[in-house]
Amino acid sequence: MASVAAWLPFARAAAIGWVPIANNPLPAPPIPKDKRRADDEKLVINVSGRRFETWRNTVEKYPDTLLGSNERDFFYDEDTKEYFFDRDPDIFRHILNYYRTGKLHYPKHECLTSYDEELSFFGIIPDVIGDCCYEDYRDRKRENAERLLDDKMSENGEGNLVKLTNLREKMWRAFENPHTSTAALVFYYVTGFFIAVSVLANVVETVECGNLPGKKEPLPCGERYEVVFFCLDTACVMIFTAEYLLRLFAAPDRCKFVRSVMSIIDVVAILPYYIGLGITDNDDVSGAFVTLRVFRVCRIFKFSRHSQGLRILGYTLKSCAKELGFLVFSLAMAIIIFATVMFYAEKKVKGSTFTSIPASFWYTIVTMTTLGYGDMVPSTAMGKLVGGVCSLSGVLVIALPVPVIVSNFSRIYHQSQRTDKRKAQKKARLARIKLAKASSGAAFASKKKASEARLAAQEAGLELDGHKEDDIFEMQHHHLLRCLEKTTNLYHNVENGHEEELREIQIGDLEKSTPTGQHRVHLNAPSGAPLPAEGRQNAGSLATISQLGGGEPSPPAADDNNVTGYMRISTL
Amino acid sequence: MARFLRRSLRRKKGAVRFGNTELDEFEPNALRYKPDHIETLCKSTKFSKKEIQLMYRGFKQECPSGTVNEETFKYIYSRFFPQGDSNAYAHHIFNTFDTDHTGTINFEEFVTALSALSRGDIYDKLRWAFSLYDVNGDGYITKEEMLDVVGSVYMLVGRRASPTGEDTTTKQHVDRIFQRMDINGDGVVTLEEFVELCSNDETIAQSLNLLDTCF
Repeated sequence: MASVAAWLPFARAAAIGWVPIANNPLPAPPIPKDKRRADDEKLVINVSGRRFETWRNTVEKYPDTLLGSNERDFFYDEDTKEYFFDRDPDIFRHILNYYRTGKLHYPKHECLTSYDEELSFFGIIPDVIGDCCYEDYRDRKRENAERLLDDKMSENGEGNLVKLTNLREKMWRAFENPHTSTAALVFYYVTGFFIAVSVLANVVETVECGNLPGKKEPLPCGERYEVVFFCLDTACVMIFTAEYLLRLFAAPDRCKFVRSVMSIIDVVAILPYYIGLGITDNDDVSGAFVTLRVFRVCRIFKFSRHSQGLRILGYTLKSCAKELGFLVFSLAMAIIIFATVMFYAEKKVKGSTFTSIPASFWYTIVTMTTLGYGDMVPSTAMGKLVGGVCSLSGVLVIALPVPVIVSNFSRIYHQSQRTDKRKAQKKARLARIKLAKASSGAAFASKKKASEARLAAQEAGLELDGHKEDDIFEMQHHHLLRCLEKTTNLYHNVENGHEEELREIQIGDLEKSTPTGQHRVHLNAPSGAPLPAEGRQNAGSLATISQLGGGEPSPPAADDNNVTGYMRISTL
Repeated sequence: MARFLRRSLRRKKGAVRFGNTELDEFEPNALRYKPDHIETLCKSTKFSKKEIQLMYRGFKQECPSGTVNEETFKYIYSRFFPQGDSNAYAHHIFNTFDTDHTGTINFEEFVTALSALSRGDIYDKLRWAFSLYDVNGDGYITKEEMLDVVGSVYMLVGRRASPTGEDTTTKQHVDRIFQRMDINGDGVVTLEEFVELCSNDETIAQSLNLLDTCF
């Protein structure tokens, strides 16, 4: 508040504009004591030997910190007439700059914990760190916190897990975190084993197994040991089906589970078997049946539950879809261009393999990826030239987007982490700042009350026992606000309209200070019967009472003490 | 010479326009305003040297470039009147202070106006108040202008009342005052009418002296 103290005289002078329209005569200004606060004095702050000097006004800008409040008197050294702090002078420089400029910066070369300690010593909340440095501060803090958490976890082991009584919840937790219990671990390994067995069986059943006694050609193992493989397949599918059903049962949100990628993979892995059971040995559909068996390879994706790396890879591809799309698109462009040129270059050659442009696609792809199978080779000079250019450019076209994708991935990954964190923290951060401001708003309201009391005492001619020096600003500020009230006949503030803000603030804090700061808003009653006291208390609804003639003076403030309402929290 | 080099560099930069040029061209802040010497200000205003020093320090703290713009004004007023909406009122005050309508207030304008307001005679103060209400500066206060300014004063208090209630109260207030001020009933208030009415009214004349601040 005091950061704009120098502008108060200006605001008060400008208030002359209210005088012609004032409804009521303006109140007398506060009488400052004879001891004028003549000059702003300089404070000397000695931090471990390094002397800092600043105006008193500067440090009093933030009265809720150590330097700005009378807490600094604890550190006053009478002999040397300075304030001595046995703290780090390098960090203190930043803290003093906060008072001077209003922005708190975080020096990157300082250790986070020591900086935090200094901030908490001087009573400054880290949330006022400016936007330029806040990012960095938060990142470091997160790293620190993670490191601490890791250390703690490796110490404790898995000691304190929430005791879940519900069978369903227990099962779900067992499925998601296999380390939680032995049964879960067993289940985890069993399913992993069966996935491996199933995939292996799928692979092996196509290998040639040697001859049956009566046949000429070697048979694949799948047809020779048909029963064995069928039993194996059945067993695996039984296990997978059971697992899927159990997961479905345990899932807290079934619809979400059914839509998730892993469950789709599960379904695709086991469905071919059931469809195959349903299909008879009809020749028409056996072709389709064979195709279905291809889908059995999806079982290998079930491993992604077991492997974190696979999951990260999947996420990478998903998040880099745009870049991958660009790669594919640029490749497609290049392929089409070169295939076209190649086709027209080799068109005249007799017996050329470049029969059409789509046929040339194959050549272009093989050349650009530097595979070079050699099944299609250009014979004309022009064709060879184009082929050369194609292979050279292939290297470039493929090599260029890949680092971009890699760096993109890294950037996107970190950025999304940071953005989400920042969004989540921003809300919390703003809420904390609001809370701090609200408490200062409460202090403001209480000071207003005190100044009104002082004015009443002054008017009644009572002797006041000593203002503090720094009250003059407050007195004059409150006098200005009272002038505004008198001009407009509207009095600060309070109540029902602001309950939603109040909900956020702890009720405990309110109860501490409800006795002091109550104010009301009410319009001036018409010259008829004044509203009864209770009615006035409920005037928070701000009934529009028309104002007749020259307004009456407002009812005395004595009623305020009876109102046990809420306190108005100023919205700064 | 330096200016020529700078201009040629700028032209070259302008030739290569590709992507974010706004970030490339960090033009140095053109104007840094320096006020007159403190002695001159002391002589032309009624403040003492110490008072001007104090005012300038606060001024420069809030506006390092040496000039105040409307945004800073609004911010300062929002600090003084936290409960209400001070934007409209700050806008009016700003226009009143900015006598040459440049959009910024420099320290001289500030101090001169303040000297008239806090240390001047009643005529100075009333003239300033008149210019506050005379939004367009034509020498006449119309009812709409007064309604505008009075409305902004009401917004300073900050209430969550229904808008219709707001308007009728303000309107009646303005009607009442306008009636009192417009002596010849021509629908506008001139400076003479304004000054005459205010200087004759005891309470107003007295109240004008209440808002002095000692430094």
